[in-house]
Amino acid sequence: MNDSQINQVLSPTADVRHQPLVLSYGQGLGNFLSLYIGRSILFLITCTSVLSVLLIFFFIIKESLPFLQKFSLTEFLTNTGWYPQAEKPQFGALALVAGSFYVTITAMVFAVPTGILAAVFLSDIVSFRVQNIVKPVIELLAAIPSVAYGFFAVMVLAPWMQNKAGFNTGVNALNAGIVLAVMALPTIVSVAQDSISAVGRELREASYGLGATRMETIFKVVIPAAHSGIIAAIILGMMRAVGETMVVWMASGNASQIPHPWWDLSQSIRTMTATIAGDMGETAKGSDHYRSLFTIGLFLLIMTLCLNLFSEYFLTQAAKKSGIRK
Amino acid sequence: MKIIVRCILDKIFTAITWITVFIIIVLLIIILGPILSKGTSAIVFKDTIEFRKMESSIHNRGSETQLAAQITQTASIRQAIYDTIEKFKRGVDTESLTDQARAIYRDFGLQLRYKGLGPQQYTEIRSLSKDIRDRLDTAFASEDKSQIAECLNFVMQYADDPRFKGTSAEAFFKMAIDFKTAVEKIDLAKHYEYVKAVGELEDLLTQLLGPRPGKALPATAMNQFGATRWDLAEKLMDNLLWKEEWVAQKPGQPLVKIRTERAKEFAGTEIEPLFGYIKDNLEKILKPQWRFYWQYFIDNSTPGHYFGGIGPEILGTLLLTLLSMVFVIPLGIISAAYLTECTTDNVVVRIIRMCINSLAGVPSIIFGLFGLAFFVLFLLPFLGLPSKPCILTASLTLSILTLPVMIRASEEAIKAVPLTYKEASLAMGASNFKTFISVTLPAAMPGILTGVILSLSRVAGETAPILFTGAVALGPVPSSIFHSTRTLSYGSYDMAVGDRLAMMVPHNQYGMVATLVILVLCLNTSAIILRSRLFKKLHGH
Repeated sequence: MNDSQINQVLSPTADVRHQPLVLSYGQGLGNFLSLYIGRSILFLITCTSVLSVLLIFFFIIKESLPFLQKFSLTEFLTNTGWYPQAEKPQFGALALVAGSFYVTITAMVFAVPTGILAAVFLSDIVSFRVQNIVKPVIELLAAIPSVAYGFFAVMVLAPWMQNKAGFNTGVNALNAGIVLAVMALPTIVSVAQDSISAVGRELREASYGLGATRMETIFKVVIPAAHSGIIAAIILGMMRAVGETMVVWMASGNASQIPHPWWDLSQSIRTMTATIAGDMGETAKGSDHYRSLFTIGLFLLIMTLCLNLFSEYFLTQAAKKSGIRK
Repeated sequence: MKIIVRCILDKIFTAITWITVFIIIVLLIIILGPILSKGTSAIVFKDTIEFRKMESSIHNRGSETQLAAQITQTASIRQAIYDTIEKFKRGVDTESLTDQARAIYRDFGLQLRYKGLGPQQYTEIRSLSKDIRDRLDTAFASEDKSQIAECLNFVMQYADDPRFKGTSAEAFFKMAIDFKTAVEKIDLAKHYEYVKAVGELEDLLTQLLGPRPGKALPATAMNQFGATRWDLAEKLMDNLLWKEEWVAQKPGQPLVKIRTERAKEFAGTEIEPLFGYIKDNLEKILKPQWRFYWQYFIDNSTPGHYFGGIGPEILGTLLLTLLSMVFVIPLGIISAAYLTECTTDNVVVRIIRMCINSLAGVPSIIFGLFGLAFFVLFLLPFLGLPSKPCILTASLTLSILTLPVMIRASEEAIKAVPLTYKEASLAMGASNFKTFISVTLPAAMPGILTGVILSLSRVAGETAPILFTGAVALGPVPSSIFHSTRTLSYGSYDMAVGDRLAMMVPHNQYGMVATLVILVLCLNTSAIILRSRLFKKLHGH
């Protein structure tokens, strides 16, 4: 008996005691219909997620399309002047895109080494019991709301930077980057740890058997074997940092500029997300400014979706590899 | 490489990983520490008599007789302070003294007219009182002590004159005596500095002790009361004792903060010992008491977030989270059930999964944009409702945001149910549907509940999606789901950067965000505990 036959036997309304055990389609049309109608209803409900994604795309594109028709995309992406309220408005998002990159890269510089070391620590170095204590602590970092991180950045870190560390302003790219790094850490740790743990025992034992120390095993065997998963972890962490709004809005200073010189992180910057959050309250519905914010949103959406596809690609790669090894 | 070097490197690496994890845990403490510790001070603190006055007048709380008794106890000490200042001002604030003298003269003139005196007598007294007034004016305006003494002596020789007995002109002589005693200790050259300094002192005293009894109450509630908390009172006391100034020591150099004793501005006058007096008696005046202010969680706040609690914010957060759960729980469980129980891995399912993953990756601010464009500007007008951000649109937006969390958690929970449970049920002749409802779902319930709790905490903490779809910083308590609401998350943002009034009440800033963090962390901890219980139950460890 194959799967579908079992399903017919056990269909929702079948009263097994009074009916023959196996039904053909003709014998139990009612059962057949109720089973398939029920399933299609379930299917439709499940499609809400698909519908949501489509609606998000549709409405963001719908609101930004008039802007893209009116202004040129190249100017939008290459001009650094963002003066939407000026008499002759300029919509140059380059400084905003750069701002997003600045904070994301800063965050990754701090978060990636820390995250991978912590993942190695959890999977290879400590016992199961310590792991059970440390892991929830790191998960707590992921649970803290982003507005609380922003609050910390602006109320604790920024005054400290300004008064004690001698920065000109406490709200700057470095501040936002550091706090974003803490926010991205849990994602990186948990995904990287999964993939490092998934590298089989045999590989490690073979390496130890050849006389390698634990450090050598980790760097020369485990991490190369788990590289796809680690890349996926980094991408997921980046997505968290790029898409974060509250922290950058509160802690980055909201000055639409590219730092000069380019490596000076102590200057205020402005990101795409912060621009959307900050400007939307002041725009009139349907104005160019309003539509330009949706265009930034569209750009952000496309960027994160690409990152998402990359991460999924690497995660499938990682899954395939560990599958073969098992 | 030598073995020993390799071993040392290995040990170093191990140490580095330990340090890394240690740093992460320290970071968690650094972030949560200030928020939680300062947040607690919003609820547990030393209150003052001003706080009790505020509670009784705004919230009608506490025993009025007790409060009245406390006020009378403190009144005498307060009055002593006010009296000293008044006395000092009589010597210093000559402009108002001149005005007073003129008013007395006018009054006296009116009194004279209805006394029924002969014209000659009337003119005589009238011109005499004018003379007295002019002499007083000269004395007030003068900086020369001998001239003042001369003028005052001239005035005082009429003090026992029967013509002025029992009239308003008696006030002239009182003024003259007061001014004489006041002037004795004052350096008259510093006249205007005194006026300015005493003005500052009075402002600070109003902030510390509240408006002077008998004067008209200010219009805004925040000015009607003095320091309501002991920590605030101590800070104001410090301001009172020490004057802070930013001074440029050399041109072009950064400003330097210099603290000078405020008492020195009043050196040699009666005001100088007043500072010590206030400092010594501050506890007696304000009567600090430890207070557990649990009503913080239910009280509304007035004005802005200055006094009171975060009741509307908590209510709004609860409304938003519960309403979005109403949408997301059925959707999430049904989707998870379909994905795990009804299908195999085919193209359609792969597309659905990809969409769920994409949905999880969409930045939260995009959900805000989408909520604005779809729910607020499209769906509400489409349904014939007014197109404005409200609780309904915000919770719909949040439910889409948290859908992937819910689906994934429920899916994992359903998958974790051992196959033997289902097989047993099917073998007993139960249908697929029946098996799912009465066997799989109950067994997966704790896991699904974990998912619900995680979504709850996500929804409670999100700010960006509700910025444009239904959150406001200040506003009335919503009466239906078609009104916008205050929330803890948006309130935390607004108090940290948006609200100027809130800068003056750091305990309220921290209190709001600490409440949010504690709420979210409690939800998450219970989810973690529930998950480990479930794991043990299903796997029999």
